[in-house]
Amino acid sequence: MRSADMVATPNSLSTKAFGFVGDLFIGAYILSVLDRVVVPTLADYVAFPLSPAHAIAYIVFAILFASTSLLMGVSLSAAFVRKTLPDGISRKILTHIGYFLLSISIIAGWIITDVSPIEFFSGKGLAGAGRIFGALVTPEFDIIGQALATMVETIYTALMATLIAVPISFLLSFPAARNLMDGSRPKRLIYSSLRVVLNVSRSMEPIIWAIVFSVWVGIGPFAGMLALVVHTIASLTKQYSEQIEDVDSGPIEAISATGANSIQTIWFAIVPQCVIPFLSFTIYRWDINVRMATIIGFVGGGGIGTLLIQYQGLAKFHEVGTLIIVITFVVWILDVFSARIREALK
Amino acid sequence: MASLIEVKNLSHTYPNGFTALKNVSFSVEEGEFLVVIGLSGSGKSTLLRILNRLIEPTSGNVFFKGLDVTRIEGDELRTHRGQIGMIFQHFNLIGRHSVISNVLYGSLGRTGTLQSISGGFSKPDVQLAKESLLRVGIADKAENRADSLSGGQQQRVAIARALMQRPRMLLADEPVASLDPATSHSVMNYLEQINKEQGTTVICNLHFLSLVRKYATRVVALKAGELVFEGKPDAITEEWFKAIYGEDAIEVEIR
Repeated sequence: MRSADMVATPNSLSTKAFGFVGDLFIGAYILSVLDRVVVPTLADYVAFPLSPAHAIAYIVFAILFASTSLLMGVSLSAAFVRKTLPDGISRKILTHIGYFLLSISIIAGWIITDVSPIEFFSGKGLAGAGRIFGALVTPEFDIIGQALATMVETIYTALMATLIAVPISFLLSFPAARNLMDGSRPKRLIYSSLRVVLNVSRSMEPIIWAIVFSVWVGIGPFAGMLALVVHTIASLTKQYSEQIEDVDSGPIEAISATGANSIQTIWFAIVPQCVIPFLSFTIYRWDINVRMATIIGFVGGGGIGTLLIQYQGLAKFHEVGTLIIVITFVVWILDVFSARIREALK
Repeated sequence: MASLIEVKNLSHTYPNGFTALKNVSFSVEEGEFLVVIGLSGSGKSTLLRILNRLIEPTSGNVFFKGLDVTRIEGDELRTHRGQIGMIFQHFNLIGRHSVISNVLYGSLGRTGTLQSISGGFSKPDVQLAKESLLRVGIADKAENRADSLSGGQQQRVAIARALMQRPRMLLADEPVASLDPATSHSVMNYLEQINKEQGTTVICNLHFLSLVRKYATRVVALKAGELVFEGKPDAITEEWFKAIYGEDAIEVEIR
């Protein structure tokens, strides 16, 4: 039965090899969860730094686990590569390994995140929560002027970030579209390197960029805006270029056939098919940017977020309540508006 | 005198390994209405697209007015394409733009990049666009959005766009395959008119033999990428038909 499995996969050797390596990690994971998290909690022993003997034990266990899986034909990682589970008893064993991994992960998660129902429901804790919620629902409206002024700052930070990012994303989206860059090797190279840069800068959260820029240009809305610009360029370029990859190729053929050059072909055959989706993405991105600008304020990006973190630090929860109401209201209004506009654009 | 277009030993294999054309050779004289027939996937569309170099042939040569256009690039290629109008099964108009704009795009080849992007088409071209629309009988729709028109009307806009190029030759890839029979004849009539009145050479891919017999001056047939028939339309007998379309084929007529 196992040999039948192997026949069914085209790269049985590489699948096996990958499965073995993957299983090594699974084995090491199982032992580390037991050794570092579960046992220390139960036996109340402090996990010491990894000694050579420990390391050897890990390696031996991992190899044992991976070899057993390989020999029994129940490699979880190999199934992951094949994207299908084997049939029969192997399937049952694999499912059980899966459940086992899930169970120990839940146990480890519970321990690591210090989940504590006692603290959650303690009288002292509940009283504290009551105080804060009470303060939040009895907002201090003396600061409403300040709240609105900083909210306006946040909205415009988001707007400027979006407006600055749009033309840059527009220009970048064409070299980032696979269907336009498939022609030659240098084109493909530009496409791939651009994709890598975009993916990396998109994986870096705007809040990280905000920390970088608040050191660079000083705390304030400008730092927040720059952080959003970077993230927005990365996100919009991806969305724009995917839209370009999706266009109907018929008009491209037709416009090329008239003797038009490549810029004319992009402008007359591709752009008309993309304008509306581009607009829709852009409005949605502004909507997202307003929310992000609020969060970015926490780390020095200016606007209402900075004000909120200041009042929170002073434990002035009535003021915090006012700010939360303003933020919630504005975000809700923007959400409704942007959804409406995008609907109308369809 | 050299033929308008001459195809020599043309072969094309797609990157996925599918061979669309095998060693095809034929020539087309000025003023002909040549129809290419064959089953779907027999290489008709590929053949047409190689003539204006939307597709690069794997091997073989294409001569246009005695000039080898198989490997030309850049301006030369655009000039070559500019002399050949093309219409498509799915019309390929820019749906969101007006009818008259779509027709004007036929002059992109001779209009500068900045000039065309800023919408500044020359006066004679705007005039020609209006005349072209008049010729295909939809001058009254000039300002409508192209996608608001019916299929037959859209194909006529596509013909007007091709006329805008003042072409020496027209390529028509299944121009009536998405149209109903009545509209099909109207579209074919416009192509015939252009062929007869202006002497524009037409190369057209068709499915229906009744249309072939009515409009073609000469026919070539492709089967699995090979040229299997070349001759007058009335030379396509029952036997030839079976040879081209397979034993089980039944001729369907469009009146």
